[in-house]
Amino acid sequence: MITTTALTKSYGKTPVVRDVSLHCEPGTITGFLGPNGAGKSTTLRMIVGLAHPDHGTSTIDGRPFVELPNPTRVVGTLLDPSAMHAGRTGRATLKIAAQMAGMSTDRVDHLLNLVGLTDAADRRVGGYSLGMRQRLGIAQTLVGEPEVLILDEPANGLDPEGIAWMRGLLRDFADRGGTVLLSSHLLHEVQATVDHLVVISRGAVVASGPLSELLASSSLLVRTPDPEGLARALRSAGIGYRPGPDNTFTVDVHDGRITPEMIARAAVDQQVPLTELRQSDSGGLEQLFFSLTAATADHSQEAAA
Amino acid sequence: MTSATMTSPVRPVDAQSPGAAFPAIPFSRLLRVEWGKATDTRAARWLLALVAASTVGLMLAPLFAPSRIDQTYTSYLRFAAVGLSILLPIVSILTLTSEWSQRTVLTTFTQEPRRIRVINAKVTVSLLLAGGAAVFGGLVTAAGLGVAAATGRELDANLNAGVLVGYLLFVLLSVATGVAFGALLHNSAAAIVLYFALPIAFALLGRASTSLGQWVDSGTTFDWVLNGEWSGHTPQILATVILWVALPVAAGLVRTVRREIN
Repeated sequence: MITTTALTKSYGKTPVVRDVSLHCEPGTITGFLGPNGAGKSTTLRMIVGLAHPDHGTSTIDGRPFVELPNPTRVVGTLLDPSAMHAGRTGRATLKIAAQMAGMSTDRVDHLLNLVGLTDAADRRVGGYSLGMRQRLGIAQTLVGEPEVLILDEPANGLDPEGIAWMRGLLRDFADRGGTVLLSSHLLHEVQATVDHLVVISRGAVVASGPLSELLASSSLLVRTPDPEGLARALRSAGIGYRPGPDNTFTVDVHDGRITPEMIARAAVDQQVPLTELRQSDSGGLEQLFFSLTAATADHSQEAAA
Repeated sequence: MTSATMTSPVRPVDAQSPGAAFPAIPFSRLLRVEWGKATDTRAARWLLALVAASTVGLMLAPLFAPSRIDQTYTSYLRFAAVGLSILLPIVSILTLTSEWSQRTVLTTFTQEPRRIRVINAKVTVSLLLAGGAAVFGGLVTAAGLGVAAATGRELDANLNAGVLVGYLLFVLLSVATGVAFGALLHNSAAAIVLYFALPIAFALLGRASTSLGQWVDSGTTFDWVLNGEWSGHTPQILATVILWVALPVAAGLVRTVRREIN
C-alpha cells in the first residue's frame, strides 16, 4: 500500500509538485499520468526517499520508505533504466541487487528468464538497448519479492510486444495482492493496464479515480428537487453550472478542480437535497488529457515515444 | 518472450507482512556488496593492475641505482609506499564517485536509504583495499630485497615497528585523501583532477611560505609520517589530516545525505 499526503516540493521558486495525495491499494495498478515535466518523477522520487518534500508525507504500508529496514524486500523501484553501471553485465547487476536484499543469488537465473534476458545475461549493460534495460530494471525490482512496485515510465523503449508482456506481468503481480504505481505520459499506453488513474499537470493532481469513471466523463450531473436552491448553493460556492432538463445541472469539473464532494458540501451548506450526483455520460479523460498535453505542447516527445 | 514467462509467478503476496518483518541489512553485507562493486568492473581491475605495476616499477629504482639510493630495507619499503600512493587513491576516488557518475545511486539508495551506511561501507572497503595493497607492497619490497641480496649486495636490515607503522599509515592516509575527495565531490573526473592539482597548489604555497605550508601541505606532512619524523611535526600532521581527510569526508557525508538524487 502506498499513501502520500499533500506532497509538495519546489526547486527554487518553481513549484514542481503541489499537494499531491495518492492512495494505492493492494491488488490494484495505479497509473500516474501526466505530460512530461508535470512532476511525476519528482513525486515518485519523494516516495522512495531520493528527493525530500518541502511539505507532506509518504508511506509504504504505513511507514516512510526510508525507515524500511530492508526496502527491496517490500518495494521494487525502477526510476530510470539508464541509471545502470554500463561496465557490469546484466547478471552481475542482478546479483548485486539479490545480495543487497539478502536473497539467494540462485534467483538471478530465474529472473533473467522471466524478463527474457537469459541470452544477454553475460553481456555488459552498456551494450543493452533501452528496452533491454527496462527488462533488466523490472527483474531488479522483483529481486526481493516485494509487495509494492514503483515504476517510472516502464513502457519507454519497449515494443508493443514488450508492453503486452509487462502488462501481463503487472496484472499477475497485482492479482496476487501486490500494489503497483507506474507513471506514463501516454494515456493509451496505460489505459489497458491500470485500474486507477491519477492525472497530474503542472505539479498538481487534476483528476483521480477508477479508470472507468475517469474515462466516462469530464463533467458532473447533479439532480435536485429544489433547482433554485441548488443554483443558489452552487453560485455561493463559486461553482459554475448549466441547468439541464428534469431538474438537473451539469457542472464542468474544470480539470478536476471541481469535485463531487464540493458540490455535495455546497448543497449541504444551503440545506438543498440532492437526488443524484454522478459523472455525466459525455466527455472523457481523453479530452482532458489532450487538453493537458496540448497545453504543454510536448508533441515531439509523444511522437518519439 | 514466450507466454510461459509472461505468467511465471511473481510471488504470492502476503498482504499481512509488514516491511518491518525483514531485518535491517547487516553492515557485513553492505561491505561484501561494496567490495564487489569496487573490484568487479574491467576499469577497476585495470586500475588495480596498474597500481601493482607501478609499485613493482618503482622497486626497480633502488635495484638499478644502488649507488644513488640507500641499500636499506627501509628505503626499499619507502619506494613501495610511493609506488602505491600514486594510483591507489584513484581506486578509492572511483569507489566513492562511480555510483554518482554512473547514476547507480538511484538504485543503491533505494536498496539502503540510510545513505551514510553505504558511504561507510565504501570508505571501509577503500581502507581494506589500502591494507591489502600495503601487504602487497611489503611482498614486492621483500622480492626486491631478495633480488638485491641475490646479486650480493650488502643490505642494512634497519626495519623496525616504527618504520612499518609509518609505511602503513602513509598508504592509509594517501587512500583516505582519495576517499575524501571522492566523498565530497561525487564526480570522478573532478575528484581526480583536483586530487592531483590541489596538493600541487598547496605545495607551491608551502614553498612561498614554509611556516604556513607545513600546516596545509599534505605532501610534506605525509612524508614525515612515512619517514617516522613525528617529533616536532605532530600538530602539523594532524592539521593536514583534518584539512585533507576529516573535513572533506564530514562535508561529503552531509552532502550525500542531503543531496537530491536525479
